[in-house]
Amino acid sequence: MIYYYLLQGRPKYKALLKFIMLMKLACIMVFITCLNVSASVFSQEKISLDVKKTKLAKVLQIIEQQSSYHFVYSSSYVPVNKDVSITVTNTLVTDVLAAILNRTNLKYSVSAGGLIVISKNKEVPISGTVKDALGGVLPGASVRVKGTGIGTSTDVNGKFALNAPENAVLVVSYAGFQTKEISIGSQTSIAIVLSEDTKQLTDVVVTALGIKKERRALGYSVTQVSGETLTQARENNVANSLVGKVAGLDISSTSGGAGAATSVTIRGVSSLSQTNQPLYVINGVPMENKPVGLNNLNGNGNSGGQYDNAPDLGDAVGNLNPDDIESISVLKGAAASALYGYRAKAGVILITTKSGKGNSIEFNSNYVAEQVMDRTNWQYVYGQGANGVKPADAAAAAQVGGSSWGAKLDGSNVVQFDGVSRPYTAQKNNIEDFYRTGGTWSNTLALNKSFDGGTIRLSANDVHNNSVVPNSGLNRQSFNFTGTFNPVKRLTIDARMNYILEQAKNRPMVSDGAGNANYNVAFLPTSVSVNDLKPWKDANGNEIPYNKGNAYATNPWFAANEFINDTKRDRLISSFSAKYTFDNGLFLQGRAGRDAYTDSYKNVVPSGTAYYAPGKIVEQATKFADVNVDVLVGKPFKIDEDFAITPNVGASYRRTNVNQTTNSGADFAVFGVYNILNAKNKSVAYVASVAETQSVYGTLELAYKDIFYLTGSGRTDWFSTLATPGKDNKLSVFYPSVSGSFVFSELWKPSFLSFGKVRAGYAVVGQATDPYQTLLTYSLRSEVLNGLPLGTISNVNIPNSALKASKATELEVGTEMRFLGDRLNLDLTWYKKTSKDEITFVTTSTSTGYSGAVLNSGKIENKGVELLLSGQVLKSKDFVWTSSLNGSYNDNKVISLADGVTSNLIATSRPGVGFLQNIPGKAASQVMAYDYKYDAAGKVMLGANGAPQRGDLVAYGSAYNKWFAGWNNEFNYKGATLSFLIDGKWGGKLFSATDYYGYVFGLHQATLENREALGNTAATYYQLSADNVSNKFVQDASFIKFRQMTLGYNFPAKMFNNKIHGLNVSLVGRNLFILMKKTDNIDPESSYNATFPGLELGGVPPVRTFGVNLSVKL
Amino acid sequence: MKTNILKKYSLLLCIGMLIISGCTKDFEDINTNPSAYGAATFDPNFTLTTAQLTYTGSIDFAYDTWRGNLIYSSTMMQGLSTVISYWAGDKYLLNEGYTAAYWGSTSVGAYVEQVKPIVDIVEFTKGSSKYNNVRQVARLWKALIFERITDLYGDVPYSEAGQGYYTGNLAPKYDKQQAIYTDLLKEVEEATNALDVNGDKVTGDAIYKGDINKWKRFGNTLLLRIAMRLTKVDENTAKTYAQKVIGKTMTSNDDNAFVKHDVSGARVTQNRNSQVLAGDGGQENYYVKWSQNFINKLKSANDPRLGKVAVTGLFLDENTKTQNPNYSSDPVVQKGMPNGKDLSGIAGRDVRQDASYTTFPAYSSPNPAMIKKDGITFILTYAESELLLAEAAQRWAIGGSAAAHYANGLSAGITFLSQYDASLAISSTVADTYATANPYIAANGLEMINTQYWLHTCTMLDFYETWSNWRRSGFPILTPVVYPGNATNGTIPRRFPYPVEEAAKNGVNYKAASAAVPGGDNLAGRVWWDK
Repeated sequence: MIYYYLLQGRPKYKALLKFIMLMKLACIMVFITCLNVSASVFSQEKISLDVKKTKLAKVLQIIEQQSSYHFVYSSSYVPVNKDVSITVTNTLVTDVLAAILNRTNLKYSVSAGGLIVISKNKEVPISGTVKDALGGVLPGASVRVKGTGIGTSTDVNGKFALNAPENAVLVVSYAGFQTKEISIGSQTSIAIVLSEDTKQLTDVVVTALGIKKERRALGYSVTQVSGETLTQARENNVANSLVGKVAGLDISSTSGGAGAATSVTIRGVSSLSQTNQPLYVINGVPMENKPVGLNNLNGNGNSGGQYDNAPDLGDAVGNLNPDDIESISVLKGAAASALYGYRAKAGVILITTKSGKGNSIEFNSNYVAEQVMDRTNWQYVYGQGANGVKPADAAAAAQVGGSSWGAKLDGSNVVQFDGVSRPYTAQKNNIEDFYRTGGTWSNTLALNKSFDGGTIRLSANDVHNNSVVPNSGLNRQSFNFTGTFNPVKRLTIDARMNYILEQAKNRPMVSDGAGNANYNVAFLPTSVSVNDLKPWKDANGNEIPYNKGNAYATNPWFAANEFINDTKRDRLISSFSAKYTFDNGLFLQGRAGRDAYTDSYKNVVPSGTAYYAPGKIVEQATKFADVNVDVLVGKPFKIDEDFAITPNVGASYRRTNVNQTTNSGADFAVFGVYNILNAKNKSVAYVASVAETQSVYGTLELAYKDIFYLTGSGRTDWFSTLATPGKDNKLSVFYPSVSGSFVFSELWKPSFLSFGKVRAGYAVVGQATDPYQTLLTYSLRSEVLNGLPLGTISNVNIPNSALKASKATELEVGTEMRFLGDRLNLDLTWYKKTSKDEITFVTTSTSTGYSGAVLNSGKIENKGVELLLSGQVLKSKDFVWTSSLNGSYNDNKVISLADGVTSNLIATSRPGVGFLQNIPGKAASQVMAYDYKYDAAGKVMLGANGAPQRGDLVAYGSAYNKWFAGWNNEFNYKGATLSFLIDGKWGGKLFSATDYYGYVFGLHQATLENREALGNTAATYYQLSADNVSNKFVQDASFIKFRQMTLGYNFPAKMFNNKIHGLNVSLVGRNLFILMKKTDNIDPESSYNATFPGLELGGVPPVRTFGVNLSVKL
Repeated sequence: MKTNILKKYSLLLCIGMLIISGCTKDFEDINTNPSAYGAATFDPNFTLTTAQLTYTGSIDFAYDTWRGNLIYSSTMMQGLSTVISYWAGDKYLLNEGYTAAYWGSTSVGAYVEQVKPIVDIVEFTKGSSKYNNVRQVARLWKALIFERITDLYGDVPYSEAGQGYYTGNLAPKYDKQQAIYTDLLKEVEEATNALDVNGDKVTGDAIYKGDINKWKRFGNTLLLRIAMRLTKVDENTAKTYAQKVIGKTMTSNDDNAFVKHDVSGARVTQNRNSQVLAGDGGQENYYVKWSQNFINKLKSANDPRLGKVAVTGLFLDENTKTQNPNYSSDPVVQKGMPNGKDLSGIAGRDVRQDASYTTFPAYSSPNPAMIKKDGITFILTYAESELLLAEAAQRWAIGGSAAAHYANGLSAGITFLSQYDASLAISSTVADTYATANPYIAANGLEMINTQYWLHTCTMLDFYETWSNWRRSGFPILTPVVYPGNATNGTIPRRFPYPVEEAAKNGVNYKAASAAVPGGDNLAGRVWWDK
């Protein structure tokens, strides 16, 4: 308590005080629990006792008096003077004894004559090695004495040594392997072999800071996915492979084609306008993963804006090679991720890459073909034209190049934009005809080598993708080195390097039509064949436009073949860590990691493009470097045999440097030569930013036997991004957490229950902000006006010098139970998360002069339930059917926005009549559209041309789904495995700009109604109807998809005389078909942006993949 | 034991905290943008240049100029004409994106590109003697900017606009146009009077290169134009202010305010009208023509401007944007294209079935010398000034003779073309001769003055001004086009509706303003001074 008084006067340490108090509270709770615990040994006699601080010898005496028992012991090893306090009524003597001798190294035995001998528990030294089935050592495996707090972990050579009571049972566990219990009997040295386990419920999981923990000890929900489940039916972006596999995870890929970003949201959106993407941590080193979109300030690439005319430039997590991934741990709630402080608000995904194991060679080869699925369901009654007539000549056809308001398709000849006459018939295969069959070939070779004092793993991976979009694709080579060394005793060094080279060719544009092939193919008039749009350029290289009524409707072949949108990434993720463990268990760990990449992006609007004949070019180079350094000190203390306490303290430092140079040029001097020097007008833009964060943190873990676990932690972060020159504002924030787990099945275990625990956690986490948001600054444009510099205000958003870090508090409770000998598993979680003081980019009316403001404002709440039900439905000698069902429900609500702000605009759909807004009282990201206008009698009011008038802007529901489910099934018959995954999402809304343009261009089936009667004014009528009453484009985004199917066979090693240790061949398929959808002309998962769902237009159509996977282990 | 652990633990934590608090000293430096300037080192002259440039149109491909000035204003005023289907203004169709373009959205348009820098200069220079003239020029420019915004939309955010950083107001109210005009008059008068010929040099001035006397005449001319806008609603105020500027307005074409563009900065600094009319974005080069009405007016009056501003055969092939160097500027062959036509193939609508049609190249295009990419954008001219003074004289018998002002205006409106390009020069002798031959007739004075104003602003390519003055004066009398599906019941639009995005961003203020527009928040509704 002395600290309490010492620190009381200083407000700065109030938080620390709070923390200490919290820890104390935790200790008290542990005691209370301990007192309730009793062992169960058969005996008849019962006694009552009520003693306080009484000497042990005296207590034994009292027992002798009350019963017919007599004690035999020696005071040389029995602490007779130890104070004992115990209160029992009518309790078995043996239970009383067990309680008294609890947490001592004493045992007792009852002889027939009522004589009780108290003797010393003998501890014997035991050592051994832990290896996998192939003989590879398993460093870091957990070895624990069952029923006690005694435990250790294996060193780099897989060796361990500890003292255990006689006849103890060792519990050995390792991530990705089945946990094994071994009775040591009289052995002193033991070789333990673990077999691999691919089911989700592994017993050891990776938690915050990379600390491996037994699942039973966790006071929060963590889902671990093994690498193997990501590699068979793979996706180019590994994050997409998690779809349907983890409860509480909402994953949606964008329609951006090869190399596009993916959105991952854990337990709903917790930020109104900053990123809701989780933090990815690779081998303990955090990785920045801002996908393109809302928070991407890069002027190039899709930002999710209304007038975006740009490709999706991808994200960082998509660079990883799934073959290198050992496991992925999803830390969903704040309690799990609290140690990541300001980066933890949206959850954390921990990725552990493979380390060397044994001496082996692994080879994996995977080929999948990709095929587009046409989701449009347009009308094919009327053809190209306007006013109900087909074009009279080439000029007229060109003016109505994008319009299907023509005459009835009658098969007669009609002249088209190119002057050629063709039959006026339905062209239903434009999507199929334009896109090609794509394919991805991925090969990985990995070498594992163990030697005395270390292991290494080297892998090389090549991915070669041809996109379904003509002339587009992605190549990636990655090299991974992992070395674990034990140069001297007790020192472990881990060094990792992942070098990635990625080249994307012609990332397709999304949203708007200029230069976007997807848009133009999707909206071609019903009677125009995409094949007739070839050739796409004339003899001089100029685009041959098919739609002169809209210069921005680029010929899709020209867009795909002549535009350039190439990216290159050169990336090195490296980490180095050293850990020294002293004899007394104290460890010191230092870790340094750096994620650095150089991106280059080249965008060319070619010479001769219809909408910009002079052509233009952008060459952009981005250098990104993120350095993370941390230290951790800790020591497990064994209070006695049952009670262990482990404090850890650490500190970390992060520095992020970004600089970006963008060279833009226009008007090529020599036609068709695309380098910046060939541009007659050039300008340059330069952006540099630095941000630094410093943190200290600590954790305190308490374990009582293997029954009760309690963890408390605290972290304080200091942010450079909150600093304002000339102002002394608060730069730091404190994030505490506490969580506990109670394994009740250790105390109460009916026959049907094989394991049961309840858990609870509470934590505060947060989010900081980008640099340079606190001050108004000015800059100069690259261009000058006849020598005069052009000054601008640099800030897009109104700056705020009073910013403070935001906070989110989350409470979660859950249970994990296994029934019927682990045949059936249940994991259930309830959570409630409240974010407040959100650093929000509030969209403002441009009449403020700014497009937004940076504010600390708003409150948002997520409540939900996650369920995982898994088990073996059928199990016989040769056949096993494993099934797992995960489901989650998230109820999101925006409680308040900034003072006086009644709604905040997030994004506007391209047509300008559909919006995403945050509105207090409703779930985040409401899809807004215009309703009809009603008169006093409730009748729809009509305006010009008989079209309905525009009514109020109405919120039709959140763009985020509410319900999620994934159903995985695996059938094993001898060596054959069949698996499939069905997943679904329900309750979200989507504004379909595709349907809007379907109306405007006369493609939508609904435009058939009254078309004849409306005659000349049909197009205007439907345009007005679409603009004025846009609520018909708000669609239900719910779906059920048959996501994945694999059929594989494991060839037995003996088939190859054990020369090949493993050979697996699988047929794989992903996104095979949709079981349920409610959208008319689009895929319900369509989105052109990775930072928010709800808007779509002009993306690459959904792709079905199928192929084969070969995996060999030598 | 536990206490012991706690002791060690919290001690370590305390030490950690102490160490870190010592390291955060350089955070302020780290959080200072290395490629930007703070207020201490910045010169507001730089932002003044930007505001002068952006008044001529958006740096982002001139969407405001394209949509507001050309697609709508030029065609509604029958200065230009087109068959391009998306030129909604030619047919009085409503394209909400286009009518909203001038106001702008997230990163483009008047509020973010013009209002933001100009309001910042006025705030930045508050109480600073070092920047007195910069401040007064900025106040004049600010009035110019807001005059156009309010003329296009009516009641708009004014007093609270662009103030986001200074007041933290995120939802600016829409000021009544009457109040805006009252303040514009006050501001322009004050600023003009506060200009000091011996004061600081306005180094960022792209218009007059810091010539304060010219700025004074500019200020008075602007005051005149603002005042005259009120003739329909508040003739007394109009007269009072017109009276004040007599003898202080522009004195010759040398006083004309214009921005000379620069080809080196591509779309950022190039001439906005030229980018569009040269077909940078579409087929405007081939399909946008001088209106039949405009050409016929010049032709019937034997106006010497006809042989300068119009040419035929400029683009011979719709698929190439290469200009034909052998175009013809012979006044005899010049021919305007009727408004309200298309390529639909439907009789009465398709221009190719019109009696005037032979080929598209045979219709007159603006002279390429007017739409050079490094050409000029006119802001305010001596001719406008003189025509406004003529009207003041006619209406209230102030400031000399209406006939003399009319003749000056007419003549200057002919000779000013040389400022586009030497090839467009018409000698003052020719101009004066023409003016003498077409004398002012007081009986239909207002029609004559405002028809000349119409012709002049069309040749300035400042169609925003053409539209405003037409709405105010009613001259020349234009015959509306008839096009199916038009949004105005066949009348010429009188106002741009508010951007619908305001409903989502500034809902409360927008709703009130939208509901208060006389005639409704649509193309047919009216601004206050256009009662």
